[in-house]
Amino acid sequence: MQPFSFSSGPLEPGRCREALADPSAGGYASFEGWVRDHNEGRTVQRLEYEAFEALAVKEGERIVAEAVDKFGVTRAACVHRVGSLAIGDLAVWVGVSSAHRGEAFAACRYIIDEVKHRVPIWKKEHYTDGDSGWVNCERCAAAAHDHDHTPGPGHAHEPAQAATGGSAIKHDYSRQVALPEVGRAGQAKLAAASVLVVGAGGLGVPVLQYLAAAGIGRLGIVDGDLVEASNLHRQPLYGIADVGRPKAAVAAERLRALNRDAHIESHEAKATAENIDALVKNYDLVVECTDNFRAKFLVNDAVVRALKPAVFASVHQYEGQVQVYRPLPHWPCLRCLWPEAPRDGLVGNCAEAGVLGPVPATLGAMQAMQVLKRLLGLDAGEAPALVTVDLLTLETRRLIARRNPDCDHDNPGATAAPPATAPIELEFGTLAEAFESGLELVDIRETWERLHDPPGLQIPTHLPLSALMNGYLQFPTEGRYLIVCAHGVRSLSVTEQLREQGLAEVYSLKGGLAALRS
Amino acid sequence: MHRLGVEAMNQIEIQYFAVLRERAGTGRETVETAAATAADLYDELAARHDFGLPRAMLRVAVNDEFAEWSRPLAAGDRVVFIPPVAGG
Repeated sequence: MQPFSFSSGPLEPGRCREALADPSAGGYASFEGWVRDHNEGRTVQRLEYEAFEALAVKEGERIVAEAVDKFGVTRAACVHRVGSLAIGDLAVWVGVSSAHRGEAFAACRYIIDEVKHRVPIWKKEHYTDGDSGWVNCERCAAAAHDHDHTPGPGHAHEPAQAATGGSAIKHDYSRQVALPEVGRAGQAKLAAASVLVVGAGGLGVPVLQYLAAAGIGRLGIVDGDLVEASNLHRQPLYGIADVGRPKAAVAAERLRALNRDAHIESHEAKATAENIDALVKNYDLVVECTDNFRAKFLVNDAVVRALKPAVFASVHQYEGQVQVYRPLPHWPCLRCLWPEAPRDGLVGNCAEAGVLGPVPATLGAMQAMQVLKRLLGLDAGEAPALVTVDLLTLETRRLIARRNPDCDHDNPGATAAPPATAPIELEFGTLAEAFESGLELVDIRETWERLHDPPGLQIPTHLPLSALMNGYLQFPTEGRYLIVCAHGVRSLSVTEQLREQGLAEVYSLKGGLAALRS
Repeated sequence: MHRLGVEAMNQIEIQYFAVLRERAGTGRETVETAAATAADLYDELAARHDFGLPRAMLRVAVNDEFAEWSRPLAAGDRVVFIPPVAGG
């Protein structure tokens, strides 16, 4: 028997009880919650329970584990009904077996109290006068909540006044709660949700701002970059004084100031094959806002493995693409659409191709909207698609996408980046150390990117990537090289290609010029 | 109109994205073509506009649905060529 579960059919306490039997148990206590015929002076005819099951089960399991731990009982379980219930129906059952009766009663009481406070379950009452109404979730009525449990993740209702030394003004969600599809139940779903945003750049900034403002309970930010002056035109969450500071830390600071309800976690690191699974595992949903294919496919593979929904987006000059992934059997992943994972540098990123700020802002806002839609359950019946947006013509196009039967999507372990046998990236502290390595440095940045290189920090050998791609320039077929670009993304992709072509001693400068000390 | 000895010419509406739009110098065009499949059509246009991007890297959608490259074309089809995009 699961420690915590939902049932859409009638509960059978007899069968539930059997599952708790144990030779070491000397007693058993249970609690049954029944549907009663009145609430706050109104006569109730029947009611419906609705739960945000994925989250509710996790929180419910946590509560049962806490009870077992806290009271040292033998076994414990809780089952909650969902769906339509009549007067007198059994709505919730809690059972505990233990060596002695005292712990059994205490643990049973603890479980039902905590479930009512912490698990996102909503009750719609149908009254005899034909009216009906959602009875607000106890989690959000928790202002007057006198329990001394430790708040779990996603339970950040208490405004962190002391920490911010702020006023007593609370974030007010009334304008979104006013939407019939949101309501208090929807707001509670958002408060209970956790979202990981990978990349805090042009797309990530609006995603983070709108999700924090909307009251997402827990937001994670992954970004290993520092704020650069060239980011500001499209990432106005940052200011000129932030240049040189870690993006994830600055973003976290701004978002905490924006909404004290949101619990913000900053991860000042690039998403890598080593850290991505652990990051993704800790959140309910992932928003992919990076600017390179390597990271996009890394996130894709991790969400497919972890069965988590994700929202992807990319921009190119005046256009963008949005794709939602859901862990459903018929749903395509990024690899279903792009079986040949494209190489970075081939089709341009913002640094190479140029971009106007409102383009990633629009696409990022669309991503934030898709996240809210998913968390609020407003995407029922939506077919998987890639949506293209052209900001010059204001045209959008919804292209229906299907699962690719050849995609090894059910076995995503196989699609994870294989560990390279020889190191392909090398780290250096300074450009001087790189020159001393004996490798010939090759700058593959575009000509305009080299204009502001400080004197004495210039790389003589210059083979711009665009010229290599177009075939105007050829890479030498022998020699020992260190390929250099701004952030180490394009150089890594070129290095991989050169290795495939048989050039053994070619390396990529890890993190690019941005990672060097001047 | 299909006549004996003459290849059928279809009028196809085409839309380009990202780098293809830049290379073609336009976001959309209507062409009269004898191309029988989406692949034939791309090859024909790639030669005309010097796209330089291999077909394997792109996706094609016909009438708002992703399609196989072998998909036969009919008069009036709306064809969209989509390269992957990475910026953010």
